[in-house]
Amino acid sequence: MVDIEELKSRFLNLEFDRKDFVLDPERVAVVARLSGENRPEFTDPTHPDFQASPAFIASLAAGRHLPIEFPRLGGIPMDGGKAVTCLLPVRTGVPLTGRTHLHEIYDKSGRSGRMIFLVSRMEIYDADGHELAINDARMVIREKHDDAG
Amino acid sequence: MPVETVQDVEFGAELEAFAPDTSVAATGAFADAVGWGGGGRFKDHAAARLEGLPGALVPGIMAMGFLSSMIHRWSPTAHIEHIDTVFRAPVIADEPCSISAVVTDIDSDSGRVELDLSVRNGKGETRVFGTARVRLPLG
Repeated sequence: MVDIEELKSRFLNLEFDRKDFVLDPERVAVVARLSGENRPEFTDPTHPDFQASPAFIASLAAGRHLPIEFPRLGGIPMDGGKAVTCLLPVRTGVPLTGRTHLHEIYDKSGRSGRMIFLVSRMEIYDADGHELAINDARMVIREKHDDAG
Repeated sequence: MPVETVQDVEFGAELEAFAPDTSVAATGAFADAVGWGGGGRFKDHAAARLEGLPGALVPGIMAMGFLSSMIHRWSPTAHIEHIDTVFRAPVIADEPCSISAVVTDIDSDSGRVELDLSVRNGKGETRVFGTARVRLPLG
């Protein structure tokens, strides 16, 4: 059984990925419109306050899901959810950088066994170093045991 | 009546919902726009079934998009500070779903309002749930 406290001490809050983005305004607008958005600052690339919607921010993915040295837990990771914190508008057509670390590791046990939850946090910055948004991706892994007899 | 300031918000109020477009054409276009369109799971029912899924899926973040759009429609002045969605079970494309949000807390001093959110399928089963914290002008 994986030791959650050991995982925390080894992997929490250490940046394991850095990725650059430039958001395409048309794609950002399409995502907003298909989401049912009707505010022009999310749907109209010509709007002076045009910016990415929370759903688009949630789509920004790190180059890797977990640190290289992170142990295999057996099960297939499932997308358990997403959370977005909007600090400043996320603009299109400008350089952005996402820095990712593991923010939370916890487990829950039930009749079907233990589930391990990993929250990977990407902090998104502009070229001046201002933090614009936080994108949390919650992965859920059903722990697998080696039942050798 | 549009919600312009925190003074317009009532505790326990349900936000007016709209009917989200869950057609496979929409989910496929959404997946393409966010760069997830490579596989068939959001674009094609048969391809999704080959992956062991019950059908083509509505991307989880599209469900988040439906919920944030509902908030923006409810209040044209609301700023979503934080939205958290838990993907409890798949939402299937081409099947009806309903979205809902209810006001669970109001801080008139800061303008912050807390909402409980959910997405249900046609059987009324909760598929996505979550919370949002929004900020409105004080008035």
